[in-house]
Amino acid sequence: MNHLSQCNTWQFTVKLTVQRPSRGGAAGVSRHSWGSSEAVRRPGVPGHPGIEKGPTLSFELSAEVVLDTASACQGNDRLLKKENSFLVVQDCATSLPSLLCVSAGGDNDTVLDYTIKSTGKAFQLSESRLSFSDLAQLVFFYSVTRDVLAVCLSIPQWIYSITGKNKDPFSQLEPNTWLNSPPDQQMEEITHREPSTVMCSIQLTSSNGALCIINPLYLREHGDDWLTQRERTVKCTTQASNFRRERRLSTTRPWVGAGLHNKRAISLDQGPSAASVESYGLTRAKSADSPSPSTPGATAGVVLRRPSQNSTMSPTHRASMESLLSSPSSTPEGLYGSASELQPHGSPVLQSPHRVSWIEDGVWMPPPRPSSSLHPPFRELDSLSVSSMEEEQECQIQSPPPHHPSAHRLADKVIHRLSAVGQALGGLVCQKKRLTNRVQEMSERKGSVFAEAVREFVDMTQRGGADPDGVMGSDFLQEVRSSLTSLRETLLDFPEIQALLDSITDLSDAEIDSLVELSLHKVALKPVSPHLYSCIRTSRTNDGSFKRLHSNLCVLEKNEVEELGGSAGVGVPDCVSLERIQQRWTTMHETYSPDKKVKMLLKVCKSIYDGMSTNSSSGKIFGADDFLPCLTWVLLRSDVVTIQLDTDYMMELLDPTQLQGEGGYYLTTLYASLYYISSFRPRIAARQLSVEAQQSLNQWHRRRTLHCNQSRRSKHRRTIRRQTFQERGSSDL
Amino acid sequence: MALRELKVCLLGDTGVGKSSIVWRFVEDSFDPNINPTIGASFMTKTVQYQNELHKFLIWDTAGQERFRALAPMYYRGSAAAIIVYDITKEESFQTLKNWVKELRQHGPPNIVVAIAGNKCDLSDAREVPEREAKDYADSIHAIFVETSAKNAININEVFIEISRRIPVVEAAGGTSGKGFKLGRQASESRRTCC
Repeated sequence: MNHLSQCNTWQFTVKLTVQRPSRGGAAGVSRHSWGSSEAVRRPGVPGHPGIEKGPTLSFELSAEVVLDTASACQGNDRLLKKENSFLVVQDCATSLPSLLCVSAGGDNDTVLDYTIKSTGKAFQLSESRLSFSDLAQLVFFYSVTRDVLAVCLSIPQWIYSITGKNKDPFSQLEPNTWLNSPPDQQMEEITHREPSTVMCSIQLTSSNGALCIINPLYLREHGDDWLTQRERTVKCTTQASNFRRERRLSTTRPWVGAGLHNKRAISLDQGPSAASVESYGLTRAKSADSPSPSTPGATAGVVLRRPSQNSTMSPTHRASMESLLSSPSSTPEGLYGSASELQPHGSPVLQSPHRVSWIEDGVWMPPPRPSSSLHPPFRELDSLSVSSMEEEQECQIQSPPPHHPSAHRLADKVIHRLSAVGQALGGLVCQKKRLTNRVQEMSERKGSVFAEAVREFVDMTQRGGADPDGVMGSDFLQEVRSSLTSLRETLLDFPEIQALLDSITDLSDAEIDSLVELSLHKVALKPVSPHLYSCIRTSRTNDGSFKRLHSNLCVLEKNEVEELGGSAGVGVPDCVSLERIQQRWTTMHETYSPDKKVKMLLKVCKSIYDGMSTNSSSGKIFGADDFLPCLTWVLLRSDVVTIQLDTDYMMELLDPTQLQGEGGYYLTTLYASLYYISSFRPRIAARQLSVEAQQSLNQWHRRRTLHCNQSRRSKHRRTIRRQTFQERGSSDL
Repeated sequence: MALRELKVCLLGDTGVGKSSIVWRFVEDSFDPNINPTIGASFMTKTVQYQNELHKFLIWDTAGQERFRALAPMYYRGSAAAIIVYDITKEESFQTLKNWVKELRQHGPPNIVVAIAGNKCDLSDAREVPEREAKDYADSIHAIFVETSAKNAININEVFIEISRRIPVVEAAGGTSGKGFKLGRQASESRRTCC
């Protein structure tokens, strides 16, 4: 073992600290040390943050084994006989834990060493990016999940049975017993549990690398009502500015636009230790006999940080929240929030029972000292209501949810769809929903200007397109598009929309447009989309496109990708991913929003790209030379008629400002590929464009550039931006 | 600092290394979080040019003859076109001349044209003399460089030269225009320093 060579210079301390939350004051801190044959006893390790917790942890158990150099060298292998047992080795020079030795079991009794990095007040394994505010957290975390370890740490079961009453015998334990088997006198008190019941689901979402942690045990015990009880929140008026400021200050990473929101993810962090200990029934029942339930720091459960967007909440809603909060019983039992890291010290602000920790790439910094050590010290950049997981109900802050989901519905969702949760739980998502809901509400407000405008748009659109004497096909769709743009500008004129948008900082013009556009789709486009589809269908049928598509499909469908122009060796999607692509085409067809359709198209393109590189020789970069043939190959195996309808729909109705970006590129490529199929003429060199093709393209060109800069020229838009600028100027400077 | 999005279209025969040039250009800025790219056929990179930020939206096209008719969809709205040929393939240089003609006829007015003779690391197999290509480029007032995507030669230079030739955007009049521009500055500068 490599660390044996270091034994000469180190004194080893084996230490395991079990911390349990409890009410009460600072009096309960106690430590028990016992030593090797030399009986080296030390009064704890001074300065160790996990031990010097003070008032927030009333009961704390620390057991230390201090071995001298020789016995440590001999001892490690002996001590670590049992699989998953472990030692924390302390560097005596710094008094900080420096090495985690874990027995991986197996025939050789392999002991693996992991370096523990102590950066300021945080501890982490050097291979891992997870930081913990003290060693106990680290140990407990790795006892429920492996992360970078080869095996989970095994904490002897009997440790959980140690309580304040029976802790005395503890001090007589030998190091071996500590690490291996429960002492006899403790055995009888153990309530056996299967290790599998103490678990913690962890998933790293692939696209953003964000971590999402939830302990299902807590959900099993308490259900997840508390997750959706949005009204049961804290007074947030005083917090608002603090939250906002903190959010700015803590964002060490430069702003990268909306992408940032996607990179955020949550950890529904529950101190695993709390759950574990509770599950053994060793601590007091959390609320029934707890005399001072509001003691900050009496942490015993999942604590989700309040959504920061509360700070932007309308005054009326704020008031309603406060009135709800005035009832002390509104706090779910047993969920006592710790004082927030974001709160200034000494600020007696009520803490939400809900906490969501944001973990952002690259900013695993040691946080300001949390008042409870049971919460992993993830720096919190933003937070939000978990309720935004619900597609439709979420963020309907104006009205309470009509019904509560069954206790475990959400839990199941969380557990099974963690990556989806990670994606969905962005502050922006919630803001988007609020905007959508507000727009929806405005469109239903009787006699309001916007409701009238929407009604008029829907009526006009429903009447249009079908009239043989009127405009047809794409010209009609372009009218619809420009009406949509007008509606959007109308919306942007409303002070309530402006106020909502101003509350969403860090958005560019394009992102604001896209947000408003999406909210508009629901009220304006959704009712008319079937009609628009039938118009496109009529138009495409009449001009013979569908017929050409069909006949050329028969000619081309047997072609392999090389025959379609792909280079030799380029891969195509296999059966499974082709099946998935077909499902995505279907999803794309079913949604009414052109933006969402484009998102689905991008997923298809990604699948195609994945297929291209799967069978290719290494290092080959595939550009359009290969992508277009591959996309064509896929289209020849898809429902091209429906895809043509969707393509037209997207092309004509997507906000023209979006056509230059990635979505625009792949949409153009889809259009081009369909165009290639429908205009395919074997044996005719396509160098010269046919007259027909030339006309079609010219018309297309005109349409696409017609309204491109419309919104940029809007006087109102500048007004909004100026306001935002002033706001930024005052807050940033 | 104002941000300008510049659509750049890549034209040229298949196999001349269009996508390799783009890949080489964006690779040092490649961060899946910042540049969520599906594939090499569309990529973006933002560079600073004087007091502006130029975000290049690079549209690759399929170079096969059969897809030639589709090109207008791609070069529509482009601020610049990079036409790539392979210095070891005379034929690809002739194709380039056809692209220049087509752009003159159907392309956007004022499009900046750059000619890139790629694979200049393979000078032993050279078929297109540098002088000839340079003279041709000068005759049509196009940017000309010989590049090697493989050895990262002159890749950035192409884009720097494009930035230089992009017409200066006319200043928005009045104080509101100024406020508008400054307003963007706050966000755009944060956007790009990562």
